[in-house]
Amino acid sequence: MIPQKVDYKRAGSVAEALSLLSANPDAKILAGGHSLIPAMKLRLNSPSLLIDIARISELRFIHEQDGGVKIGAASTHHDIVSNATIRELYPAMAEAGELIGDTQVRNVGTIGGSIAHADPSADWPAVLLALGATINVEGPAGAHDIPASEFFTGFFSTALEEGEIVTAITLPAPSAAHQSAYKKFMQPASRFAIVGCAVAIVADGGTITDAKVAFTGVSDAAFLDEAVAAALIGQPAIPETIEAAANAAAEGDIHINEDHFASQAYRKHLAKVYAKRALVEACGL
Amino acid sequence: MSNYIGKPLSRVDGVAKVTGKAKYAAEFDAPDLTYGYVVSSTITKGRITHIETSEALSLPGVLSVITHENRPKIAWLDMSYKDQDAPPGSPFRPLRDNKISYSGQPIALVVAETFELARYAASLIRVDYREAPHETNLDTNLHRARKPKSGLASLLKPPPPKPRGNFDEVYAASPAKVEGRYSHSPEHHNPMEMFASTVVYEKDGKLTIYDKTQGAQNSQLYVTQAFNMSFSDVRVISPFVGGAFGSGLRPQYQLFLAVMAARELKRSVRVTLTRQQMFTFGHRPATIQNIALGADSNGKINAIYHDAVGETSQFEDYTEIVPTWSPMIYPAENVTLDYKIVPLDVFTPLDMRAPGGVTGVPAIETAIDEMAYELGIDPLELRLINYSDRNMAEDKPFSSKELRECFRQGAERFGWAKRNPKPGSMRDGHNLIGWGMSTGMWEANQMPARAEAVLTVNGKLRVTSATADIGTGTYTIMTQIAADTLGMPMEDVLFKLGDSDMPLAPIEGGSWTAATVGSAVKVVCEELGRKLFKLAQKIPGSPLAKAKWDDVEFVDKHIRLKQNPAAAVSLQQAVDQNGGAAVWQKSTSLPAMMKQKNYSRAAHSAVFVEVMVDEDLGTIRVTRAVSAIAGGKILNPKTARSQIIGGMVWGISKALEEESVMDHTIGRFMNHSLAEYHVPVNADIHDLDVIFVEEHDDIVNPLGVKGLGEIGIVGMPAAIANAVFHATGKRIRELPITLDKIL
Amino acid sequence: MSTITVTVNGKSYTKEVEGRTLLVHFLRDTLGLTGTHVGCDTSSCGACTIHLDGRAVKSCSMLAAQADGSILTTIEGLAPGGELHPLQVAFNDEHGLQCGFCTPGMIMTAADLLSQNPNPTEREIREGLEGNICRCTGYHNIVRAIQLAAERTAGVPA
Repeated sequence: MIPQKVDYKRAGSVAEALSLLSANPDAKILAGGHSLIPAMKLRLNSPSLLIDIARISELRFIHEQDGGVKIGAASTHHDIVSNATIRELYPAMAEAGELIGDTQVRNVGTIGGSIAHADPSADWPAVLLALGATINVEGPAGAHDIPASEFFTGFFSTALEEGEIVTAITLPAPSAAHQSAYKKFMQPASRFAIVGCAVAIVADGGTITDAKVAFTGVSDAAFLDEAVAAALIGQPAIPETIEAAANAAAEGDIHINEDHFASQAYRKHLAKVYAKRALVEACGL
Repeated sequence: MSNYIGKPLSRVDGVAKVTGKAKYAAEFDAPDLTYGYVVSSTITKGRITHIETSEALSLPGVLSVITHENRPKIAWLDMSYKDQDAPPGSPFRPLRDNKISYSGQPIALVVAETFELARYAASLIRVDYREAPHETNLDTNLHRARKPKSGLASLLKPPPPKPRGNFDEVYAASPAKVEGRYSHSPEHHNPMEMFASTVVYEKDGKLTIYDKTQGAQNSQLYVTQAFNMSFSDVRVISPFVGGAFGSGLRPQYQLFLAVMAARELKRSVRVTLTRQQMFTFGHRPATIQNIALGADSNGKINAIYHDAVGETSQFEDYTEIVPTWSPMIYPAENVTLDYKIVPLDVFTPLDMRAPGGVTGVPAIETAIDEMAYELGIDPLELRLINYSDRNMAEDKPFSSKELRECFRQGAERFGWAKRNPKPGSMRDGHNLIGWGMSTGMWEANQMPARAEAVLTVNGKLRVTSATADIGTGTYTIMTQIAADTLGMPMEDVLFKLGDSDMPLAPIEGGSWTAATVGSAVKVVCEELGRKLFKLAQKIPGSPLAKAKWDDVEFVDKHIRLKQNPAAAVSLQQAVDQNGGAAVWQKSTSLPAMMKQKNYSRAAHSAVFVEVMVDEDLGTIRVTRAVSAIAGGKILNPKTARSQIIGGMVWGISKALEEESVMDHTIGRFMNHSLAEYHVPVNADIHDLDVIFVEEHDDIVNPLGVKGLGEIGIVGMPAAIANAVFHATGKRIRELPITLDKIL
Repeated sequence: MSTITVTVNGKSYTKEVEGRTLLVHFLRDTLGLTGTHVGCDTSSCGACTIHLDGRAVKSCSMLAAQADGSILTTIEGLAPGGELHPLQVAFNDEHGLQCGFCTPGMIMTAADLLSQNPNPTEREIREGLEGNICRCTGYHNIVRAIQLAAERTAGVPA
């Protein structure tokens, strides 16, 4: 149960949700609630008002757009993994979605809620970074877009301004030789990522022409590992390339998480192993 | 006659459980029920200097906040707080005074009209403390180890026997030696159901209490003594228990607080603990052991040294049987054992599935594997070389011990003969494969118990005893025993338990319930049968008129002459002869001490395990396990197999996953939720196989059963640790075997 | 307080609820449907699993208010009309339970699984039930029970 008293309002539209939010600065947006409600139970979060946007129909859709896909923020994880287009175009999305929580969580939890919450161990952020997604946001000043690479700014924090909500996520059209994969080493009890690695590569005639490699769980926010990408681009898609690139993972000047389950050294080690496994799959080796 | 015993029957409580009708302690309703929420200490040691409850009390609907400052008067003698499983010492008394003895100690109970309100009000209570330095680390306090105090509990948990022979000399001269230090982290029982008590305040001040417990009469005893109430004013009911694994062997603090609040408010009160609070009472104690073994070049173990130091609280001396398992399994002539405890600022540890057994046995069984490698002898062969039909801790023969057959059948089923002993010799891709084995053992005890049986005028049998069914299958096997004893169909038999008004039964633990309550049910049904036989003889023209008791049997709801099945009287006819009244019997079953005292009684197992270790990650999966069990008569292979599989999964969990991680700087268990404390889920479990080896034993108890609650877990951890060694060449002596220990 | 209308096990209820009231407490305390259990505070154990508009959800991780307008099924309503649901029969037959505390949640999750995938493999069952913890049985018989229910209902539309 939730200790603190809280009011609940169900918004019928994005406009209504925004106006409720601007009238109640202490309010929180509630979608599936699978990040927020557990946090409220632990008294980590005590809003005075919850604005439920889960049933706003203009937020729950998945459709193709300019060769890519646009996903409404209130789409559940289950909606996403069971979408045929997403499965075909972005294997990493399907792989990541299937590893979120469990059946019950995937039936209720939403992608918008997950990324707005920005848990450092959540799965979607890494995938959105690797795929070069754009986060569509609406707020008092109107609608605008934030590239995923600028969205996840730190420990449970995002580029969302006061009064703004995530309305959709846009995945760009993949090029013909695009491949993606997501591999995760999960905390066995919570099923959150100790290390999750998403990769998206373009391999043209055996040469890697573009690559993005992103991690979650490793640091205080999901991040693109430029060093790994740099070691891939321009190289042949062969095991030696992958080995060398994976070994560059999680090096450099980044904070590495540590807990009773996995030390910093072990996390760093896992980052390399999972980069390798994700790259092997994406390169079809 | 045996229509049911030995058959794989479905549970008699199954339908109630699959339909959600089985009610647990927090699910009984009462008029005007109020809800209590426990406030827990945030420091580990010190004093409460001030506790501010006014803000909580000012909320409409908050009825009371009970603290050490305003609590009603309660019993002052330690004796009054001793439950049936209390170790020697001074039991913890909630809200006794301002002293904090461990992290998470209950310091107040908020009672309100709704659950939500009680919890909110609890969040408004402000507590000031004066902190004192604490000690929670066993490792850094080993110098404080001392002998435990003895008390009543020592009867069931005797200290290790005195040294025999001369360990030092023989060990020094042994051609083969191994020595090691073995340890494990604390663990919490974490049954799925949280502890809860619903105390119904009756008009006359009597209490009907629905409690989560492994002994309704134990809770009743505790409440009557602590609150100076008479037994007739306190009734404890506990028909279903959502798992316990030992955690319900002692009344937990929610019971005390709920009773206190109900008496104070003269209202019914329910107190349910949170999962986090499930980490604020008993746990399996961290234990550190040292073992040294000396063997001759043929593999005969001649010298055993085994010591153990376990943690306890500052107020009670909790103990376990730990080093004694070594001479119980291996018959060395030169043995030195030692057991000590270290009092720390934690709650008193509490018996948790196979207490002591799954501590001591994995240590000695890992050491034996080390010895096998030292000698270059196959680990199974080494165990056969040192096989004994005598328990050298007591120097008595076993009443039965089919362990040799367990080894044979288990090894065959597993394919042990194909094992290449060289560590790291088997692999599959980036997985290293290892095979390991272990012996398991658990004592087969029987306690006194009573039961009542009534054959109603409608010819239905109702049998009762105040035992518990924590999911083990008590309802089912007792129904089988009663039905078979009186030759009745199970549909006509109703077995009831979990009510302090019922005939006396001990707490349900130690794997003794099948033997203990089963014997009582058998005896009471036999004695009821004698009454029915006498009634049947009185029927005019009875075909049994001249028969003797030994001439008849109970079959198909009839009492029949064995020699002439046509000569029979139905049970209905016999009851009808009782003048319109039901036929009633209450009986006591006592262990046959004279018969048992010259023997050691125990269940045994041989466990074979395959693990796969991911070379890159250090992750370990138990891909295959075979457990061959010698557990006496198996009353119901269906419930029995489930008990063993469940125990094996506990063994996997103990070896690889479970640990309560203490942050010693603040003295608190940090992973106090199921999101952080890892228990296995479905996807963690692979191929598990159980073999029940035929074992006949008419000494252990009249049913020949040995109990199965613990034997499933005992052998697993060492088998896994030994398999990990075989896979990786790394000898891990610290459980659980986590990733960092492998890489 | 807000007023919600929900259909639970075929029956419509309109009730006042507090914003903070979790769906599981609404079911247990307000409607008296205690077959839905609570085993943790962290959405980990699955004992509270029910169906919300036909899909398995953890009722401890939702507010009662969020369910306004929804159709809910709890273990008590899984088999309307007194007959047991094939999963209930199979859990009983295969001994897929011991203490019974996790059982309602297991069955509700399994029912969702079978409605999506009427013929799951053993791995699919184990992974489909990853959000439900059982501390007694070691899971083997639970998997068998679901396999048995799947076999028995093969070809029968859900």
